Amino acid sequence: MSALTLAAAKTTVHLTSQTRIVAAVLAIAFMLLILELIRRDRLQERYSVIWFVAGLGMLAGAAFPGLLKLVAELLGVRNTNVALFSIVLLLLLGLALNFSVIMSRQAAQITRLAQERALEKARAQAAEDRNGGGRVGSEQARPESERT
Amino acid sequence: MAGRRRASVGESTPVRTLVFIPAWNEEESIAAVIADVREHLPGADILVVDDGSTDATTARARAEGVLVATLPFNQGLGAALQTGYLYALREGYECCAHLDADGQHPAAEVARLLAEVEADRADLVIGSRYRDPDAVAASDDYRPTLSRRIGTSVFRFFLTLATRQRFTDTTSGMRAANRRVMSLFSENYSPDFAEIESLQLAVRQGLRVEEVPVRMLERAGGSSFLTPLRSAFFIFKGVVVLLVGQFRPRQAETER
Repeated sequence: MSALTLAAAKTTVHLTSQTRIVAAVLAIAFMLLILELIRRDRLQERYSVIWFVAGLGMLAGAAFPGLLKLVAELLGVRNTNVALFSIVLLLLLGLALNFSVIMSRQAAQITRLAQERALEKARAQAAEDRNGGGRVGSEQARPESERT
Repeated sequence: MAGRRRASVGESTPVRTLVFIPAWNEEESIAAVIADVREHLPGADILVVDDGSTDATTARARAEGVLVATLPFNQGLGAALQTGYLYALREGYECCAHLDADGQHPAAEVARLLAEVEADRADLVIGSRYRDPDAVAASDDYRPTLSRRIGTSVFRFFLTLATRQRFTDTTSGMRAANRRVMSLFSENYSPDFAEIESLQLAVRQGLRVEEVPVRMLERAGGSSFLTPLRSAFFIFKGVVVLLVGQFRPRQAETER
């Protein structure tokens, strides 16, 4: 039992300079990708901010490995790996929720747009039918005698 | 039925009324429903809201000479109903009513709902199949399926709990409303859980909601979208929606 806990305590993140370089390169590549997506109008600026922050976080983690350990200690998590995964997981969860909120708003906007368009077309149709003498729609167009 | 229109204190100006019919792939029954509404509600304007049908619903309705608002794609009953409320509000109708396009709802019964609204006895009137137990037992006009019966009782229980008002037919698609309801529903209307949440919303906003016993018929065409599994999910979702609805702000100022 004590051997197990000892082993667990020892498995803190130990980044070699090689892995740190790989992580830094990946982070920079990631941010370049974001830039490129914005440049090609595939990603709007307002949705890119959060990804830039994520990229900067990756870069910071690669440049200063002590930072992660510090955060883990602040959170009271003994195992830095667990802290890392937990933080990333929570961030992704928040991001996914953020997208759901954006999606809901856009769904409501699309619905309203569709309704407006449908009503506009219906009104146009009514106007057309009125000119053709059809008995449709808008009450004002109808003579008073026809209503009762 | 035109005699039912309100004689508003001393004068006999007819109340401007819109009857709208949400329709999704109801080409078989839509013409008959329109004819029924014309016969029993001759003073009302008719709007068919085609919720992105893939069949000839729009063409059939247009052939009947009524106004048709065709949504470019299917968005669910709530969005279709909201379109109707939005139109009624913008065009200045004093009353509006809606009924299903599948022929389950006799227009004569809709006229009775409208009479309640026109007499200002309620803001929103729901046509209930179950309000009058004797009539339910006596008539074999309408026979609900088992899953529908379960759903009905579950929704009835939770909605009564949430609103502290007795509702018997929570999913009824036969309703009549005045302008207060129009302005509420044209802004705040759940796109995929129209029937129940709207009742909860109306009661929470302090509107007078009333049920009137009505007679309903078997479906004339089309088929119900509820399979057992979907029913179970539908019921679950409804309960969640009701629960969340209890925490919504009372004043409808949230802009959607």
